[in-house]
Amino acid sequence: MNSIIQIDNLSKSFGEVKAVQNLSFRVKKGELFAFLGINGAGKSTTINIMCGQLSKDSGNIQIDGHNLDENISLIKSELGVVFQSSALDSALSVYDNLQSRAALYGIVGAEFKERLSELADLLDFNGLLKRPVGKLSGGQRRRIDIARALFHKPKILILDEPTTGLDPQTRKTIWSVIAALRKSENMTVFLTTHYMEEAAEADWVVIIDSGKISAEGTPLELKNTYTGDYITLYGTDEDTVRKLGTQYEKIKDAYRLFVPNTEAATKLIVKHPEIFRDYEITKGKMDDVFLAVTGKTLLGGAEK
Amino acid sequence: MNTLPYLIKRNVKLYFKDKGMFFSSLITPAILLVLYITFLGKTYKETFTSNLPDAFTIDESLINGLVASQLISSILAVSCVTVAFCSNFLMVQDKANGTVKDLRISPVKPSLLSIGYYISTLASTLLICLAATVICLIYVAAVGWYMTVTDVLLLLFDVFLLALFGTALSSLINFFLSTQGQISAVGTIISAGYGFLCGAYMPISSFSSGLQKVLSFFPGTYGTSLIRNHSMQGVLNEINNSGVPAEIIEKIKDSLDCNLYFFKNQVDIPVMYTILGVTVAALLVIYILLNLKKT
Ligand SMILES: Nc1ncnc2c1ncn2[C@@H]1O[C@H](COP(=O)(O)OP(=O)(O)OP(=O)(O)O)[C@@H](O)[C@H]1O
Ligand SMILES: [Mg+2]
Repeated sequence: MNSIIQIDNLSKSFGEVKAVQNLSFRVKKGELFAFLGINGAGKSTTINIMCGQLSKDSGNIQIDGHNLDENISLIKSELGVVFQSSALDSALSVYDNLQSRAALYGIVGAEFKERLSELADLLDFNGLLKRPVGKLSGGQRRRIDIARALFHKPKILILDEPTTGLDPQTRKTIWSVIAALRKSENMTVFLTTHYMEEAAEADWVVIIDSGKISAEGTPLELKNTYTGDYITLYGTDEDTVRKLGTQYEKIKDAYRLFVPNTEAATKLIVKHPEIFRDYEITKGKMDDVFLAVTGKTLLGGAEK
Repeated sequence: MNTLPYLIKRNVKLYFKDKGMFFSSLITPAILLVLYITFLGKTYKETFTSNLPDAFTIDESLINGLVASQLISSILAVSCVTVAFCSNFLMVQDKANGTVKDLRISPVKPSLLSIGYYISTLASTLLICLAATVICLIYVAAVGWYMTVTDVLLLLFDVFLLALFGTALSSLINFFLSTQGQISAVGTIISAGYGFLCGAYMPISSFSSGLQKVLSFFPGTYGTSLIRNHSMQGVLNEINNSGVPAEIIEKIKDSLDCNLYFFKNQVDIPVMYTILGVTVAALLVIYILLNLKKT
């Protein structure tokens, strides 16, 4: 059994709002799992249920072989959670915050100090220990949130939009730390994000809309299913491009042609070698997948 | 379990660092001080001298000593409860700003969190109220000291008991609150209302007899009376020694709430202790049951 998280038929409503509807998916051990969806799709709700902060209306959740309803405290000790909005004590220093949170997992004294210095080196916050959390910048605070979530070496790290609003440098630091931990500890990472380039790195992607799964697969599968390829064609004029009979758009110095897949691109190029002298083929991006799946205009027509 | 000491440390630190919670618990004692300086002191003095037959003249320092004891007993009686409430607001604030989530994602049992709030509230309350007691005693010493060692020890015990009462009561009430708005509402009611309820602004004996009967059902009233008794006993004895007859002392004690009546029956000091003790125990049991039900 290599699914570390198994969710079956999960539902949750807030009055009229059906936040999560009959949701089922699996997360494999050690993978980077991306959970995507527009604002209000039900991502945070699902996470809150998984870590026991919210009761579910129905459905079944198994985490690392334990049933959520029976063994919640065991599950809790295996989860590290970074909430969408930080939940540390603003008035207290970074040190005090981490000390009190570590104690919740029984980590105190020398063990605490050791782990603290490890994480402070890893996430580079040695200089912040005495500062009140409320006075930190967004990125500084996020690093502390992540340290807090990692303190007890969880098997599963749940990240609810960990990098929203962070500068590229901080995002890079955070992702390299997480990548290293995934490698060294075989940690599973459950991620929600609105940055599609982060989702593109995932092993498995689930996209939900109004609490229901609207697409899932590896990033490659999703790109192949939901987006076509682009051919960017240089050194030609609009009349010639129009003759090709494919959908196109004019961009700076070039034309971008839309083709359903790479095979179609090859056919087109082989048919018109005189036009395709300077070009490049790119696959659709996760952004396009996301827009295609959640937006109104479904390209490729491949709706599951 | 080595989690609890750190939870308590967190809660106590947060209370003292949170300007809102800490300072609002000082509002009631501050109001009392201001009222006292502006006019309550004079009123107290007049009430007291008017109770004396004209034939008697007592030493000014005795009068000052009595008035000072009245002030400090009011301040202490109120503080034990208001400080407990404000400090215990942390448990509501944690819910209101979502911090409680961060505690609850850990495997720690909710009941341990509740115990953490309880002990830290008690600790903060005792810290502040015992410090206040010391300051009050210094003040009394400066104005006119007539207390015995036993009085002081009993006074400290009263403060301790009243702090226990305040903590238990606030735990129970705060259990049902979850928003910042409710904190402000309850905070205002408590800081403004409790001073009246327990007779800190005006002696209960000066209220209408109907109101007095209602108040005699509030266990906190007896806490105030205990504090009054132990801080004033010394001065009153001294006044007695200076020639004022016992009936008049009793009249004074009536007017100062040292003697409380439950439908005409005077409530003895041991009974007051029993009432307060039983109330604390009962509040605690209800609080524990509520927490158990929550799982
Ligand atoms: N406590 C609540 N009470 C009522 N409605 C709620 C509550 N929490 C969430 N909702 C509703 O449930 C739906 C899903 O919310 P959720 O927070 O799970 O979205 P999300 O996918 O995390 O969105 P975002 O990307 O904006 O964080 C929304 O319509 C939201 O308004
Ligand atoms: Mg969310």
